[in-house]
Amino acid sequence: MSEVSALSNMALNALLRDVGDMLEVGVVSVDTHGTIIGWNRWLESVSGHRAADVLGRSLPDLFPSMGPAAIAALDRAVAGATVVLSHGFHRFFLPLQSPIDHGPYEFMQQNTRLLPIVDANGNSVGATAIIQDVTERVHREAELRLAIERAEAANRAKSAFLASMSHELRTPIGAVAGYTDLLRDGIFGEVTPAQVVHLERIKRVSAHLLHIVEEILTFARVEAGREEVRITETDAGTVAIEASAVIQPMLEKKGLHFDICVPETAVIMHTDAVKVRQIMINLLGNAVKFSSKGTIRLDVRVDEPGTQVAFIVSDEGPGIDEENLERIFEPFTQVESTLSRTHEGTGLGLPVSRQLARLMGGDLVAESVKGKGSTFTVLLPIVSSPYAGGTISGEHLLVGESSS
Amino acid sequence: MNVDPVDMDALSELFNVGLHRAAASLSELTGQRIGVDMPRLWVCKASEIEERMLSLLRGELATVHQIFSGAVAGDAVLLIEPDKAAALARFMTSGEAAIGGRLDQSAREVLVEIGNVVLGACLSSFGDMLHVPVTFSVPRIHVDSLAGVLAALRTETEEVQYAVIAATRFGLSTMEVDGYLIVAVGAKSLARIFSAMSGKA
Repeated sequence: MSEVSALSNMALNALLRDVGDMLEVGVVSVDTHGTIIGWNRWLESVSGHRAADVLGRSLPDLFPSMGPAAIAALDRAVAGATVVLSHGFHRFFLPLQSPIDHGPYEFMQQNTRLLPIVDANGNSVGATAIIQDVTERVHREAELRLAIERAEAANRAKSAFLASMSHELRTPIGAVAGYTDLLRDGIFGEVTPAQVVHLERIKRVSAHLLHIVEEILTFARVEAGREEVRITETDAGTVAIEASAVIQPMLEKKGLHFDICVPETAVIMHTDAVKVRQIMINLLGNAVKFSSKGTIRLDVRVDEPGTQVAFIVSDEGPGIDEENLERIFEPFTQVESTLSRTHEGTGLGLPVSRQLARLMGGDLVAESVKGKGSTFTVLLPIVSSPYAGGTISGEHLLVGESSS
Repeated sequence: MNVDPVDMDALSELFNVGLHRAAASLSELTGQRIGVDMPRLWVCKASEIEERMLSLLRGELATVHQIFSGAVAGDAVLLIEPDKAAALARFMTSGEAAIGGRLDQSAREVLVEIGNVVLGACLSSFGDMLHVPVTFSVPRIHVDSLAGVLAALRTETEEVQYAVIAATRFGLSTMEVDGYLIVAVGAKSLARIFSAMSGKA
């Protein structure tokens, strides 16, 4: 080796040492015998060993508790391999004290890269380990993991609670309704007309309570991601007519007109018929509840490409301000406090209906003009339909009309 | 690119040996049995890598990339679908990494280590066969599209002209993970590999 190149090497070594001392990672180099030939300032500060004291010693001599995997990794690097030790898999390289007092770590968590030192002929003459302290990050990740596990446990408890409540709440309400029927029918003895009136009232209230419980449970199930869509073949028009029949007594009681328009031929949907019916009953029930006069309409249409069915419920009720139109889909919301007082309910009907529509791949949207009425449109995807050609057709049926 | 079937068989065996070495190392390090399927292999021109890879996998990929140099030089990449990569990291750390199935920083570090073991074992097979040392750069992880991964391939000494693509499946106790390797090399390196396999090296 010439004197010039020897000087250059000295200068280069000095430069590398200075650069190594500036780094916020550990840099340790060993020769082919495992003797330490480089130890940067960062390692001095985290290990308490000064470079002057460690040079010439071996790493296992300096750290008797150094793991066999770390020693094997160093040997492989000295033999010419590039080796990675991640903190999560192959664990730490040097047993250095953890920089944080709290937490479960006795030693500093590290990511280490071990690189061979190669001479001009391509022969390995040693290895360098570059050690990164990742204890703080690992600690934060462990806390996050714990939080997620707790949240998952809470979610499981919530699901178990819902399953339990579903049974515990429905059963007594069913018993109240059943025994009320038996009393009213005179099974346990004759009842007076005045008692019949009170028993009818109990029956109505228990039915209302059951409806509220069902609404809350459905909302909770959807929120918990536990509501399932059970796909069956169903005719859109039939679902609409079935839902209309349910609200017929309410219509008659309030003396409202009702028009329903369904397609002339069956529109076979692959969807959850129970949920579609539940949405329809919710929307029609709301229309009746908030209307004191006029006509309520239910139109069932297939869109132009034949991919969606629209169930459109419109009323001539008080309507909703434009700025409040989206708020009605927020849980536990009824827009006007005066309406809230006069129209009982949980405020979950519309949020639940929208959630269910979205669960089935569709949506529920609202349009309204204050003082003129509201229109709610449920759009649901259709898998197969005789309307694939794109025609919209409908037969005007007058299902229920009562004198006002 | 037409490769003699005998050479193709020898190349497959070379990768098979490397992958089994990698699986054995991973098994030893984790204390869990990790199996590996016999790889399917393709040799193609660099311009055909994307088309070939698109027939195997699409979308975003988790990749570990190492440049190797020596008598044989080129780029080696391990490609795994991100959700499988997260699951693999989770498996290797007994559930400590990849919280919530995400390829978080710890999971990425673990994947770098896995990639280093797999790529190192496979490419060392070439070195052993050629009786020359092959040195590797520090592995880097990227989560990128296939096009992004391929754009980064370029050897230090010669432009990438050919690629050996290997597809395999790692069998863990809980699942199977499809892994893909691209070894992209220049014409000289590929010629050296085939020459060595046919005993002319």
